[in-house]
Amino acid sequence: MNQPARLLRASHTSVPVTALCAALLLVAAAVHAETVAIVHAKAWTLTTDTALDDATIVVTDGRIAAVAAATAPPAGARIVDAGGRPVTPGLMHAATQIGLIEVNSATETIDHTAKPGAPGAGFDVQYAINANSMLIQLARADGLTRAVSYPGGSGVPPFNGTGVLLRLVEHGEIMERARIGVFATIGNRSAAASFGSRAAQWQMLRTALDTAKAAVAPPHKPVATQPTAAPAVAPPAPIVAPAQSADAVALDLVVTGKVPLAISTNRESDMRQAAKLACDYGIRVVVIGGAEAWLAADELAAAKVAVVLDPMANLPYSFDELGARLDNAALLRKAGVVIAMSLGGVQSYNAGLSLREGAGLAVANGLPYVEGLRSIISAPAQIWGVAERQGTIAPGKDGDLVIWDGDPLEPASLATAVFIQGKEVSLATHQSRLRDRYLPQIERARSVASP
Amino acid sequence: MKLPRSAWVRGCATTVALALLVCTGAMAARPSPPFDIDPYPSTYQPLPRTDTLIAGVTILDGTGKRIENGDVLIREGRIVAVGQGLAGNGATVIEGKGRWLTPGIVDVHSHNGTYSVPLTSLDLKASDVAETSDPNVADTWVEHAVNPQDPAFSAALRAGVTTLQVLPGSTPLFAGRSVILKPVPAADVPAMKFPGARQALKMSCGENAKSNWGEKGEAPNSRQGEIAIVREAFQRAQDYRDEWQQYSKGKSKKPPPRDLKLDTLAAVLDGDIAVHMHCYRASDMAAMLGVAQEFGFHITAFHHAVEAYKIPVLLKRAGTCIAVWSDWWGFKMELQDAIRENAAMFDAAGGCVMMHSDSPVVGQRLTIEAAKAAAAGRRAGLSMPPEHIIRWVTSTPARALGLGDRIGTIAAGFNADIVIWSGDPFSIYSKADQVFVDGALAYDRAAPARSPRSDFELGRPEAGEQP
Repeated sequence: MNQPARLLRASHTSVPVTALCAALLLVAAAVHAETVAIVHAKAWTLTTDTALDDATIVVTDGRIAAVAAATAPPAGARIVDAGGRPVTPGLMHAATQIGLIEVNSATETIDHTAKPGAPGAGFDVQYAINANSMLIQLARADGLTRAVSYPGGSGVPPFNGTGVLLRLVEHGEIMERARIGVFATIGNRSAAASFGSRAAQWQMLRTALDTAKAAVAPPHKPVATQPTAAPAVAPPAPIVAPAQSADAVALDLVVTGKVPLAISTNRESDMRQAAKLACDYGIRVVVIGGAEAWLAADELAAAKVAVVLDPMANLPYSFDELGARLDNAALLRKAGVVIAMSLGGVQSYNAGLSLREGAGLAVANGLPYVEGLRSIISAPAQIWGVAERQGTIAPGKDGDLVIWDGDPLEPASLATAVFIQGKEVSLATHQSRLRDRYLPQIERARSVASP
Repeated sequence: MKLPRSAWVRGCATTVALALLVCTGAMAARPSPPFDIDPYPSTYQPLPRTDTLIAGVTILDGTGKRIENGDVLIREGRIVAVGQGLAGNGATVIEGKGRWLTPGIVDVHSHNGTYSVPLTSLDLKASDVAETSDPNVADTWVEHAVNPQDPAFSAALRAGVTTLQVLPGSTPLFAGRSVILKPVPAADVPAMKFPGARQALKMSCGENAKSNWGEKGEAPNSRQGEIAIVREAFQRAQDYRDEWQQYSKGKSKKPPPRDLKLDTLAAVLDGDIAVHMHCYRASDMAAMLGVAQEFGFHITAFHHAVEAYKIPVLLKRAGTCIAVWSDWWGFKMELQDAIRENAAMFDAAGGCVMMHSDSPVVGQRLTIEAAKAAAAGRRAGLSMPPEHIIRWVTSTPARALGLGDRIGTIAAGFNADIVIWSGDPFSIYSKADQVFVDGALAYDRAAPARSPRSDFELGRPEAGEQP
């Protein structure tokens, strides 16, 4: 059916619009009734520190039903033989901008950053998510099944706006949860560009939080609540009191502890400020970047501040990153800080592959192997409050699984099968189709002589 | 750089013996054109070194051979023997058991020293990556901008890089002359310069130049405008070169007025300066190959070359290599068709492939770049074993820099630029344990106190990875 016909039908129907919306959500919620059993897997369940050899993983109705060593698959299940290769839960990216970026240099294809006049903390990228992005197609084929996509800048610095949780299903709605967290940027060029000083940035942040706190006067105002157990589909945007601005709604979520405040920042002094902010306001804080976080590891751990770091950062790219080093991840984890990965420059274009390469590099520099896996699978889920669904192979968890042809933390390993909601997704991409189109001529070119 | 020419000029002016030898022909009083004279020659001196026998390692020789349990003997900065069960005869012995040995990594596309970290607001206003006041800055020499205290140099060395070509950035069409450096501690650039290495001209095509000048309402603001500027410049260079030849042959009284831009382009036409060209799209590369054919110059390599897999025959016939990333794509329009199989497919077609960095981060992991590109090839059914793909970061870039007989290969007679890796160099878990430059142990992971650090890093928050 073409688009105008569909619109016409909708406008002439006697069914209430709200009911139509509910029906749409139900369509998106439909999951596969098929039962899939992956057998002979080296299963990194991440419920323990070791892999379970010769595991059978059963997925029914999109959820994991069972995982055990050397058990027979249920009758009637579709059998997938992993042949002893590693199987992990789907990867989760803790801080990317997929769905908001297409071609960086073609600015009209970029939706992650708003200009002055747009909302601040409440600038909400949920309205811009593009499921048909080539970046998402590639990330999914690389084993990424969930991601938090975040805004790069809002109308009111130092806030960037609110991010979204994506689940990279092949067809239909990929926005799983809106307003997963509020984002801000502190330090370096952002300070110069906004208030001229990072001190002012922290002050503005604190003033905004003070205002939000004051607005949460008992009796508790009926603001939007985020479900603790997310449904399989995106919930409708929270209904708020008309007087409340988008910014106020977003900050209310932060000060009532429902979502984290994620701050992109790198310098040691800013790590301490972030930890202090978490304590002073009793809020959840996540640091993105954190090049010098290892210098304040104990403070971050005590304040339960998680760090989404770039494991390749070992150069003083700016004066905020003079202490950047490759064992940042290892040092932070050792101190008890929850860590995840996001690699500058490739966090979106190679959202899946870059995570594995980064985690592998962190392991090469002292992070225990299983912690490397957790940093790209379960820790992001923990940070963003979706651990009840994502991150381990255990009964009740989402049937999002990846079979690898080798060690998943070796960038030279490849995903050979990706399951989302128990359904095997296509690994075909724009790139793979180009490869297939041009591969035949490679053989023919072999006989051509060079001078 | 061709030594005879500069010797001729200096010889005629200052040395009686040389003057007698060289200045006696028909062109006796006529100096050769100054196109490729280097007035700022290398003052590099090898670091203190001892003769060394590295024993019992897995050797990837850089040209396709793999030797298990092999030995390499180094004397006076050169490799003198490669084999099994070699006698050290007094040389320091390094037991390599379980470790791997490769030639030093050659990065054919670096901006280290110009994209110098930390980057500040000053770089945003005016960066040293390239002079961008004109689309033709063929008279600029990037060595005049390089900061030896960029921490990226020592980071590259610690990652096994022993030679790198610093190229000017790709905003101008003619971006200037490159310099080939060793990432060794130095206070000035000549002390890092690879002795006798010839320069290259960095050129570019596609989006960069037309976007930069187009936005200002200046030329070029289109691809065809770019090509027109390039053709016009080479036409003038041909005329300039002809005038010089007329003069050299005694057919005119005076040489043409010195033009530093045309010097560079004339040296390209003479084949004395290599062309390294930033191009992404197949159609852009094809257009530039056409211009090269028209004016009679050779493009040594297309850099980035993300669509090389579409035109393997054209590139092979031209004898042009590609220098590529494994997986960067998408961020510009001309990168929409970048695929991870590019390197492997072009290699399988018999093309000449190099991995490049273009980034101080990637520049610390060129073997991982090769590993990722090879993995994509594997998925396409193309076999790319370690002994084969090591060529992409050693002997092939060495040849592209005109240094193929000196570095990039583990064989007797070659400079002892060597990396001992803790394991398979294509594994993310492996590290460069020891890095030799001209036989000198320039980096030893087991001796962090002697680890090279730039002046910038001294006294700043403790940085760098723990060994």
